[in-house]
Amino acid sequence: MKTILQASLVLGLSAAPAAAAELTVMTAGDQNMVDYINEYLAPLFEEQNPGNTVRAVGTGPGDSGSQKIVERFDAQSQAKTETWDTDVAVVHEKFVGPMVEGGYLDAYRDRIPTGKLVTRANADMALGANVKGYVMPMFNSQTALAYNPALLPNPPKSYEELAEWVKENPKQFGYNGIKGGASGVSFVMGWIYAFGEGDANKLMNGPFEEGEAEKWTSAFDKLAEFTTNAMLTPGNAGTLDLLSRGEIAIGPVWVDMFYSWQANGQLPPEFKLVLPAPGMPGQPMHYVIPERAPNKELAEKFVELATSPKVQAEGIVERFNWYPGIDAQHVQAELDEETWNKLFTDVTPEELANYGKPFPIAPYNNAILEAYERHVTN
Amino acid sequence: MSNTAPNRILGLLLVLPALAVIVLLFVVPLASSVIGAFETGDGFGLDNFAKAFELYTSDIIFTVVIVSISTVLIGLLSVAIGGYLVLGENPRAVAILRWLYRWPLFIPFIVVGQILRTFLAKNGLMNNILIEAGLITPLQAVSFLDWRGIVIAFVWKQTPFVALLVSGAMSALDRSTIEAARNLGSSRLRILFEIIVPQVATTMMVGLVLSFVTMMSVLSVPLMINAQSPTMITADIAFRINAYGDYGVANALGLISLVASGCVGWFYLRQTMKERA
Repeated sequence: MKTILQASLVLGLSAAPAAAAELTVMTAGDQNMVDYINEYLAPLFEEQNPGNTVRAVGTGPGDSGSQKIVERFDAQSQAKTETWDTDVAVVHEKFVGPMVEGGYLDAYRDRIPTGKLVTRANADMALGANVKGYVMPMFNSQTALAYNPALLPNPPKSYEELAEWVKENPKQFGYNGIKGGASGVSFVMGWIYAFGEGDANKLMNGPFEEGEAEKWTSAFDKLAEFTTNAMLTPGNAGTLDLLSRGEIAIGPVWVDMFYSWQANGQLPPEFKLVLPAPGMPGQPMHYVIPERAPNKELAEKFVELATSPKVQAEGIVERFNWYPGIDAQHVQAELDEETWNKLFTDVTPEELANYGKPFPIAPYNNAILEAYERHVTN
Repeated sequence: MSNTAPNRILGLLLVLPALAVIVLLFVVPLASSVIGAFETGDGFGLDNFAKAFELYTSDIIFTVVIVSISTVLIGLLSVAIGGYLVLGENPRAVAILRWLYRWPLFIPFIVVGQILRTFLAKNGLMNNILIEAGLITPLQAVSFLDWRGIVIAFVWKQTPFVALLVSGAMSALDRSTIEAARNLGSSRLRILFEIIVPQVATTMMVGLVLSFVTMMSVLSVPLMINAQSPTMITADIAFRINAYGDYGVANALGLISLVASGCVGWFYLRQTMKERA
């Protein structure tokens, strides 16, 4: 009798961890992020870890989605909750720094084998905050100017040329300001990199100084004048929409959205991208694991799977046309040449290396947005 | 005497759930956002309001003007619809109008925004129809996705609501006053404005005040049609929170729009008090 009891106890204990843990993955971003987890990552993960399930929760597009996740963590931290309701979160770059400073996150990167496949600088520093060890990039995305070659055979190759061209061709350039999505924000940041009198590298790497904002005045005056000759579009998709209907000839877009729209037939195949000098920003989205995640071990396995070269190749590059989160050479081996080249048709790897910039560090980011509101929209 | 005290307690207990809901879900959040509007980095002050007015004065004026224009148009259209329903002489047209005008009531604001975004764009459905009909040339086509788009969306969505109230009040009127005026040979327009409208003015005011307050709080329409400059306060509040995590200025903007709606409410209350006195 005793042995049976002991045996069942042992069995029960050893079976317990495998018994149907539910991994909660919170993700900021559009519906496509939730779909990516539900339709692609979750089945893969559940196959490899039988008995466990993945539940994806979308918190909404753009910065506001990440903001909601931060606020959730804030609340649980202030309430001193023992185990939090999130195992893995996917957030925008801007919000990782505050999470690390708040002590909400677990430094898990060195514990998972895929951790050493990432060497890019933006996995160590997130807009001026040191996040080394706490994050694994899910993907890198980039903004660029999309154009309609039928209306504009020779696109401007730099911000300087674009400003000239818009003067001669009013209302042919469209962007979505700063309140309708990040492609417009990115265009404005690039404008300040190009025309601000300060050092652009300081904006990207810090340190933050209050006085720096005064060096942007003439750049913003120029942008205000530029904007009177531009079309303002209602959002990231709005810019692509106007492009596809021929209402504008050129405008800033997210590279992955551009390729996805083209693949769906929402944009004509002859449309092209150009990454203007001195560069436009892009950003990664990161996987993070809270310090008090309920299923930490499974969470690490999940991120390990999501950042493995195979998943990065199939899921990130092939499905979504995103640039991979881990270093490109590990992913390239998993893909045929055609798929790989498609990602770099218009923007070559060299251009990406030279003109693909990070966003400014968080305090400059906010200062530039507020200066835009003061100078351009007021 | 001995009977009233337990009764009173019982009464209190009965209203308690409703009271708790109001306090917890309405009074407490309202108080916390009013307090939040005055909270600054160092204690309490007016910094949030200073910043709100520095950055968003044009948006505040824009919002009030847009919503006021919409309210006036809604008033005119609902009088026209209600008037035709009461005075119309073609029974078939009246029946069709009665059936049609309520439709937008059941459509959410976000869907209105979506519909109008494709309808009013430069190469949208409206301009395509006008071009096909030869009324304008492709070069004359302009996008209505600016303040005009917002006004169109608001009027389209809110007119049925006010018209429903107004036409109800109109059909409840004593027909004999209308018949008397008609017998004396006055035109239908004159009957509408001199006999009917004065009698339903209170109902119309209620409808318009409610519409004004509803429109002040709509976020989806400005976001979908015109999130640029100038835009409505709601879009700025969302931006303050989403881009900066700055609840202070967002609360201040919320309080400003509360004051704007409050003014309309106060005006309405004063009017009704005067009538009662």
